[in-house]
Amino acid sequence: MQKYVIRRLLLAVPVLLLSSLIVFGLMRVMPGDALIALMGESGNVGQKELAKLRHDLGLDKPYHEQYLIWLWQLVSFQPGDSIFTNEPIVVSLGKAIPVTVELAALAMVIGLVIAVPIGVISATRQDKPADYIGRVVAVSGLSIPDFWLGTLVITFAAIWVHWIPPIGYVSFWESPTRNLQQFLLPAAVLGFRLSAATMRMTRSTVLETLREDYVRTAWAKGLAGRIVVYKHALKNALIPVVTIIGGQLGVLLAGTVVVEQIFALPGMGRLTVEAILYRDYPVVQTNVMLVATTLVTLNLLVDLTYAWLDPRIRYQ
Amino acid sequence: MPATDPRKHPRRVSRRVFLERAGWAGAGAAALASGIPIRRAGAQQVANYPDWIPASTKPPKRGGVLTRASQWDPPMIDPRLTQSVGTFQFVGLTSNRLVRYSFSDEAANPSDLNLRGDLAESWTASPDQRVWTFKLRPGVKWHNLPPVNGRELTSADIKYCFEAYAKEGVQTLTFQEIEAAETPDKYTVRVHLKTPNALFAHNLAEPIAVIFAKEVLEEDGDLKKRLIGTGPYMMKEHTRKVRVVLQRHPDYFDKGRPYIDEYIILSTPDAATRLAAFRTGQSDFIWLASPSEVETARKTNPNALVQSFHNTLAPWGLALAQDRPPYNDVRVRRAISMAIDRQKQVDTVFEGHGIPGWGVPYIYYQDKAPTLKELGPWWQYRPDEAKKLMAEAGQAKGFETTLFYYEYFPQMTSQVQLVQQDLKKNLNIDIKIQKLDYTTYYGRYVDSKWDGMSWGFQSGHAIGVDERTYQYLHSKSPKNFFRVNDPVIDQLTTKLRQTPDKAEQRALTKKVVEREFDQALRLWMPYDNGFLVFQPHLRNVAAGALRRTDGYGSPTLARAWMDK
Repeated sequence: MQKYVIRRLLLAVPVLLLSSLIVFGLMRVMPGDALIALMGESGNVGQKELAKLRHDLGLDKPYHEQYLIWLWQLVSFQPGDSIFTNEPIVVSLGKAIPVTVELAALAMVIGLVIAVPIGVISATRQDKPADYIGRVVAVSGLSIPDFWLGTLVITFAAIWVHWIPPIGYVSFWESPTRNLQQFLLPAAVLGFRLSAATMRMTRSTVLETLREDYVRTAWAKGLAGRIVVYKHALKNALIPVVTIIGGQLGVLLAGTVVVEQIFALPGMGRLTVEAILYRDYPVVQTNVMLVATTLVTLNLLVDLTYAWLDPRIRYQ
Repeated sequence: MPATDPRKHPRRVSRRVFLERAGWAGAGAAALASGIPIRRAGAQQVANYPDWIPASTKPPKRGGVLTRASQWDPPMIDPRLTQSVGTFQFVGLTSNRLVRYSFSDEAANPSDLNLRGDLAESWTASPDQRVWTFKLRPGVKWHNLPPVNGRELTSADIKYCFEAYAKEGVQTLTFQEIEAAETPDKYTVRVHLKTPNALFAHNLAEPIAVIFAKEVLEEDGDLKKRLIGTGPYMMKEHTRKVRVVLQRHPDYFDKGRPYIDEYIILSTPDAATRLAAFRTGQSDFIWLASPSEVETARKTNPNALVQSFHNTLAPWGLALAQDRPPYNDVRVRRAISMAIDRQKQVDTVFEGHGIPGWGVPYIYYQDKAPTLKELGPWWQYRPDEAKKLMAEAGQAKGFETTLFYYEYFPQMTSQVQLVQQDLKKNLNIDIKIQKLDYTTYYGRYVDSKWDGMSWGFQSGHAIGVDERTYQYLHSKSPKNFFRVNDPVIDQLTTKLRQTPDKAEQRALTKKVVEREFDQALRLWMPYDNGFLVFQPHLRNVAAGALRRTDGYGSPTLARAWMDK
């Protein structure tokens, strides 16, 4: 196991290096730069002034030099300042990460709360009305885009109950009630989408497990249906579900971009989108690397979770 | 009787019929979901909304918190480095200018563009319009925040700001006009211009020309962290992508004002969320683009105050690379203009509530908004004559070209596509459209080396006629994005700057506009009029022409109050 973890960690290094090269390259290939965006629609962007600013920010250095400087800043955990706002990137991330983590965690919980029970009910009542309803919900979750559902939810909430989540982010520690009011609807929107794939996978794996010999034996022993399903079948059925959840982390992070925009939450999604639009190179590069590192780490954790869930799995 | 009774033999639904029905059902569901009435609110309902909300005659009440869900987030707060509306939606409230335009409780109508003193009590120009003397209002206090700590504003502060603006940033054009600035005493600033400019005071009244505290720039090296001014409000909080909170300045020179204690601007990038915030009372006012959106909002908020905003100019138009063939031929420009059906854009894209498009605010040369007919022969939709002109110019077979744009608002894409269709159908001009992100678009556009066509703009902040004529049209101006190079325009716009008499200014502006229309120098496109919708308890919040209360016209909120 230890060797496996070390090998996976070593393999992560070229993956992250390649990611850094790609994001650095893409940002430089994109036309326009932060200074053009910075100057706004003034028409007074003098070439001399631009050249001076580019020099001050080190943007006139050769690309390989810029890349190495940035890489060094990254590994020494000093990613620098935003070109646009002068704010240290660490500070920006310190504000944005808790928002996205809270949103993603709540969405994940809501997604699982929706997905697992409906998946089990769907499987245990195969081809009955409850199953059809569960499958319709799952297909809806897969096919309804976040932006549409988010807009729909906020519009109907305003019209029907004359209430929407309070705008203007407040941290959980500042006001837990207000914070939860702000997060529940967006997390539900995101969670509904997440639940779809998990629900389908739960249904299919529970169905499969229910046909296993040991489950038949459990029925034959005269155990109660609830015990058979939840104690014997569900635990084994959940292993592939964990895989799905791990794979959905990327979808979750992409979803937060849209949901944060609709519900005005100042998370990583908004930070990154704004930085891309303004060509704020250091912010985009650092954010992408952070997401890449998170995904690599979480994938490793998911793989390690299999072994914990299923003792038959051994890593070498 | 038909051979087969459909009631007995239900008609089989073909794939095509199914798709068609599904399409209608989907569109209906989407409209229902978004709260947009399927039947469009006709243009006739627009007539019900006034274009001006007069000042309240009741005595103002003190207190309250004004909140607005805003689509704009300030990219930064340093007024030297940006003229973004995101920044100037509140900087005009924390800081003053030397002179300003009328607030809504002083103006008789939206077109009132008389200058009034802000930090300056009075101002005079020398007969040759080169020396301007401003007498400052005594006793004006900076916000009581370190490092200025509420000290008195003096003429040295003004001189310092003017020099800082000239040195770097986005306002260099205006302030590099200054040859020297003197401060003969504590309350007098004398400005010597390099060339005569009768409109210099108007340039200082632009919402972006605010006076900032020199100590902050000296200590911090920029104004990105602290914004300290002399205005009616002090900045209490600025959390990026969350909120800006302004707090009443107790020592504001205009005693008793402002009336409202706090103004909170909530960063809300999504339009549906902004509307929902207005509906639920989380936002006190909102900008809505179309009549149907107003009708939708009024279903839940029937008592909302609506001001129909009539634009006095169109900020966007079709820019042609007119310094090179084929667009350097006036016949080609005129033909293109005549091949575009502007009325169709007004009727369809803007639901009848739009203007056909012109670049210089009409209030500077006539009393009423021009009709499409008044724009002259080359602005009428006459495809047959356009074809003839193209043939005369040797372009009978049409040509291929490109058009790049950035989608500032969703309707813009429809406009671009309609222009593409019109020019293909009428002149066989094959346009390849490139939709770009803002930074790419902006960088390419202001670089002024592009070929073909672009959806060109003029910036949104400007109010004064100098900015809208000389600065955007003169061949030597760095803001001449449409690449106009017309000696008559150069001569007229220069003369306009040297003319102090208002009647003569109007006559000259009219000549500039007529020349622009005749030579088809900038092909303005229709633009939305839009609406400002306020909660019923707001008073003195009406927007003047060229200065929307939610944007560059925010300083008028110094006089707003809440009747509740």
